[in-house]
This record gives sequence, structure tokens and C-alpha cells, in this order.
Amino acid sequence: MEHVLAVLPEAVGKLIRQLPQERKERIEEIRFRLMKPLELIMNGRPEFLLAGAGPYIIQPEDGVQLLNKLSRYSLYALEEELKRGYITIKGGHRVGLAGKVITEKGEVKAIRDIGSYNIRIARQKIGSAERLVSSLYESGHWLNTLIVGAPQTGKTTLLRDLARTASTGCSAKNIPSSKVGIVDERSEIAGSVKGIPQFMLGERVDVLDACPKAEGMMMMIRSMSPEVLIVDEIGRKEDVDAILEAMNAGVQMMMTVHGHSLEEALRRPAIFPLAEMKLFDRYVELTRTGSPGTVQGIYNRDRKPLSMEQGSSL
Amino acid sequence: MSWLGAVCIFISTTWIGFELAKKVRDRPKQLRQLKVGLQSLEAEIMYGLIPLDEAFLHLSRQLSGPVAEFFLHAGKSLEESVSSVQEAWENGLSHLSAASSFKKEEIEILRQFGATLGRHDRENQQKQIRLALAHLERELAEANDAQMKHEKMYKSLGILLGLLLIILLV
Repeated sequence: MEHVLAVLPEAVGKLIRQLPQERKERIEEIRFRLMKPLELIMNGRPEFLLAGAGPYIIQPEDGVQLLNKLSRYSLYALEEELKRGYITIKGGHRVGLAGKVITEKGEVKAIRDIGSYNIRIARQKIGSAERLVSSLYESGHWLNTLIVGAPQTGKTTLLRDLARTASTGCSAKNIPSSKVGIVDERSEIAGSVKGIPQFMLGERVDVLDACPKAEGMMMMIRSMSPEVLIVDEIGRKEDVDAILEAMNAGVQMMMTVHGHSLEEALRRPAIFPLAEMKLFDRYVELTRTGSPGTVQGIYNRDRKPLSMEQGSSL
Repeated sequence: MSWLGAVCIFISTTWIGFELAKKVRDRPKQLRQLKVGLQSLEAEIMYGLIPLDEAFLHLSRQLSGPVAEFFLHAGKSLEESVSSVQEAWENGLSHLSAASSFKKEEIEILRQFGATLGRHDRENQQKQIRLALAHLERELAEANDAQMKHEKMYKSLGILLGLLLIILLV
């Protein structure tokens, strides 16, 4: 949270600092829209902070100050980030951007005149994957796993903790540590800043930061010989080819995919062939009933539910 | 007694002459330093994509003399407190104009350049640096000229003025 407070414009920072600790802990997003009220998302619900009589309205200076702090006063240093539409800051938090998009030959070149900022607070939940370990590890190796969930259900948080668990091992369950490769296209799993992961991921993790997934997976397999390969948000055709390649090269894979339910996710054209070939040994379905990271169910390769307490929260 | 006075007068006028000569001699030297500094800044921006505060501190380590102190000041104030690059740059400039042999023109070029720093993408940033470098090049030629013309003159003028005063007063 300190890293986030450091980049906030003074006026906004002051408002948020005034919140009681217990409410600060629950902030998931801080949203800026120029000339609109400051919005906080807590427990999935919007809240508007009051300043004096009405809600605090984001001023143009707030936007300028935020961008200045994010870029450390050096806009040119954000060129790549302005193309991708988000910035990863210290602590692994991400700031999403929206505004006027400049294109060149049909490709996004940069975002200019930024009108909206969305600061997503990243929280590492160490141990959130622990209760899944016994279903995802079998006879000496990790199982190919697909995590399905809607946005904000804690997919990435779970994946991150799986990466940590795999790289450190689990002496209580007699699981040795493995070499873990992470292809982190959106800098969300490891939250790397200048190539250094900001989250605790154990000692045996190699991260390809901001690398396109399909290419990254191949690079990892060719050069880093991972035992477990971890990727986020698969969904494109070329991802599927790379996944097939990796699984047949004997690498165990864990990945996430967007979808409100397992059935829905498997209907996606890119995912369908993988499920048909029964490549995944386990499916983990997440929902957001109550708190993020609620496991709806774990299914085996034939998509039959595995016995586990239903709807248990992580 | 009068001899002592004469020596005093001689020493002080000579010293003033040498001081002026030093200023004329230092200006091109410092201008060259500044040019090297801006060229390195260009590299840091174009190839390193290094944020300004870090780039300034790098430069201050590479360079020497008042120009190095200038970048050190600007970098430190950017790191610590100020709310814009321009403010940090101004902080540095007020220090630079006191500590260096630069004339108003050079300071003005730097001031205008500072107003563009950090606000553009790489390409435009490069154009601004090139523009500032072109201006500085012109100043450097002028400063070299002035050094050739005036350095010796100031020195001998100091000595001769001392002698003249002594002769008049004796």
C-alpha cells in the first residue's frame, strides 16, 4: 500500500491516508476519471470518498501529478507502457490507462490525453494455494491445471501462490521444489519492475517479463528447462499451439483463463481443442461469492468433480 | 613604506586581471562539458529509457566541475521533493549561474530546454536536445573567439594597470 500512496497526487493521498486501517486493507481498486468523483472499489463495491460537502472530484492537476509520479517525470520512459495501456509499479501493483489512442498503420502507438486511471492493488495471499496442493500434485509431479474464473475472482492470486508453492516445495506433503518458469505477459503474476519480481515467489523461479505468451513459452522451454511452466490468461490461437508443444515436451503447465464457469470457458474456440484432447488433468473453478478466491469446484480430466468441500474459501 | 603600498597595488590588479582571464578561459571548457552532458543525456533517454532523476545523477558522476554539480543538484531535488522537472532544473540553474563562467545566454538556452524535459516521447525529446546542442555550439564558437582575443589581454592589462598606478602615485 505504501508504494501506491507514494504515487498518488497529494490531495487524493491525504484522503486515503485518513481512512481507518481496516478499510484501507480492503481497497481493491482506486479509479481516477478526470472531472469525475474519485472511486474506490472495496469488496467489489464502489465507494466515493467525500471531501467537504460532496464527493472528491478529480482535477486535471491530479491527473498530471499522477502521471508525473508514475513516470518519475520522464514520459519518454513509459513509451512501451503507454502502448500496452498499463504500468506496473513497485510492489507489483498495476495502473491501467484509458484515453485518446494514437495509432500508426493500424497498430496502437501510444495513449495520449489520458482520461482514466485504474490503480489495481495487488495483494499476495501467501498460502492461498495450500489447500489445493494435494489435488494438484500426484505421483511425483504437478498436474496440468487450468484455472477458470471471471475477472476479480482471484485467478492470478491463486496462480501466483501455486508458482511459489511449486518453487519452494512443500516439506509437510513431501513435495520437492521444482524449477518454475513464468511467462508474465502482463507483468501481473510476478509484478516485475526492471526484471525483478516484486512478489515472493521462492528461490527457483525464472520470469520472462512482458513477453508475448506464445513466444515466451517456446523461449522458456528451449533455454530455461522449466519443470513447471506458468502462464496467465490464455485465449489466442497461437497460445494453444505453444501449450501443445510445451505439454508434449514434458513440461507441466498451469494457466488461467477468463470465464464465468467452466462450461463457458471451454466453449471458447481457443480452449475447446485443448479440453477435447484431455490435456488438462485438473480444472479449478473460481467464483466470487462472498470473498474473491472462492473455489467452486475442482474437476478431473473428464470434467468430473473431485471430492472437495464445495464453495470453501481460500 | 611606499614600496609596500606599491607591491599591494601591483598584486591586486594583476590578480584581478588573471581572474578575468580565467573566466574567459573556463567558459569554453565548461561549455564543452555541458555539451558532453547533453549528449550523454540523449543516450540515456534514447537507448536506456532511464528516468530523469537517475539520468541526472549518472551524468553528475561522469562529468566534473560546476556542470557536474548542476546535474547533481537537479537530480537530488527531483528525487526528493519538487513537483515538476522544471522546478528541479531551475534549482540547478540558480546554482550553476553562480558557480560557473556561463553567460546569461547559456543559462537562457538551458532554461528553455529544461521546460521541455520529461514531457515528450523519445523522438521529440531527442529533437529538443539536438536543438539545445546547436545553440550551445554557437555559444562555444563565440566563447572560443573571446578566449583567443581576451585571455592574454586581461592578464597583461592587469599587470600594466598596476604599473601605471604605481608610476602615477610615486
